Amino acid sequence: MTRVVVVPGVLALLPEYAGIEDPVAELRTACLEAVGWLGADVRTFGDRQGSRVARHLLDATSRSGDEPSYLVVGNGSAKRTEKAPGHYDERAEAFDAELGAALRAGRAVREGSLARELWASVGAFAVLAELGVPDEVQVDYDDAPYGVQYWVMRLSIEDRR
Amino acid sequence: MTTGVLRLGRHTFSDDATLMMAIVNRTPDSFFDKGATWEEDKAFERVAQVVAEGAEIVDIGGIKAAPGVEIGEEEEKARVVDFVSRVREAFPSLVISVDTWRASVGDAVCAAGADVLNDAWGGADRELVDVAAAHDVAIVCTHTGGVTPRTRPYRIEYDDVVHEAVRDTVAYAERAVAAGVARESVVIDPAHDFGKNTFHSLELTRRLGEMVDTGWPVLVSLSNKDFVGESLDLPVGERLTGTLAATAVCALAGARIYRVHQVVETRQTVDMVNTIAGRRLPRRAIRGLQ
Repeated sequence: MTRVVVVPGVLALLPEYAGIEDPVAELRTACLEAVGWLGADVRTFGDRQGSRVARHLLDATSRSGDEPSYLVVGNGSAKRTEKAPGHYDERAEAFDAELGAALRAGRAVREGSLARELWASVGAFAVLAELGVPDEVQVDYDDAPYGVQYWVMRLSIEDRR
Repeated sequence: MTTGVLRLGRHTFSDDATLMMAIVNRTPDSFFDKGATWEEDKAFERVAQVVAEGAEIVDIGGIKAAPGVEIGEEEEKARVVDFVSRVREAFPSLVISVDTWRASVGDAVCAAGADVLNDAWGGADRELVDVAAAHDVAIVCTHTGGVTPRTRPYRIEYDDVVHEAVRDTVAYAERAVAAGVARESVVIDPAHDFGKNTFHSLELTRRLGEMVDTGWPVLVSLSNKDFVGESLDLPVGERLTGTLAATAVCALAGARIYRVHQVVETRQTVDMVNTIAGRRLPRRAIRGLQ
């Protein structure tokens, strides 16, 4: 069984940006629990900042087991509300709904012009289609607390070889 | 020099904690509040208010600093001792400081539950350190240039006011330790405006880092004082902004305890400065990090 975890590339998860209070406490808990479910050796996919987030989450968890494991860092649009980093875009909610469905179904997600316009970080999601259709999906987090759509998901994929 | 923690009677703080010491006057005539908390119940309300505002320490005083009607030991005790007992009972986790130079008053308030003896008059009564040692409470060692309590400075000059403030407060601190006061329970205070003109207090503010460098935790008492008023030509009641500017300079230099009338404003100023200085994390940071 291959294990795949999807987390968002939220810089507030990094220790260098810690405050006295954690603005992403619930997300952090979900990320750590999901990443802790992965095996000992994990391949990561993400852009430069996403890879930093992945590295931190891997360093912050203790894992065991030899299941093939992948940590994929990406998130939906950053234009969900007036106060979102990219301001409000009326197309963002539908875009995120479709993207979320694609992630759950293991469908191919490509970085198109709409994703770029909506400031979505989807580049690393391309690997999901290559890994196969998940047999089981657990969604640990699905929210846009700061106008950016985050998911934390655990995907289990049977080895069909 | 110091031991890493600051222990104020029953209470211990880490070596990076900054503390708000709220002034509570049991006097009819102090310069800022002009008797607003002279009645005991009013003073108690003031304690409850500053605790709600986040003050870690209250500094209870029974005699105004400026000259005026002489207040004897018994009258001073009558103003503060029972009040300390009442505050002690109502606020067990609050640090209680008493602003007194008299050993006999210090002894009585410590028996009633005080944690700190704030000797604003620079060791005028040499037995105060023995009282602090006997009760295992903290002591604030101030610099006044040796003036008599409750006198105003008149043509006092120093070769180097900072040098003398460092020398005298450190000597007082060592005298306290030699008398048996715990090393982690000794605080020094340059005592702005006490035995000093405005130029002296400004220089002490500008060079406060030299006091911090002694290693003893530094208390500053800046709140609405004349050096602020003269700098800005403003009367008491219009000195908050100037007080906070002086507070910011002292915070950047590393002062630890702030004796204040306005707790909330001072706490925000000190926290902001220490956050800028990298000694404190932002409360909650998400901007640009989503």
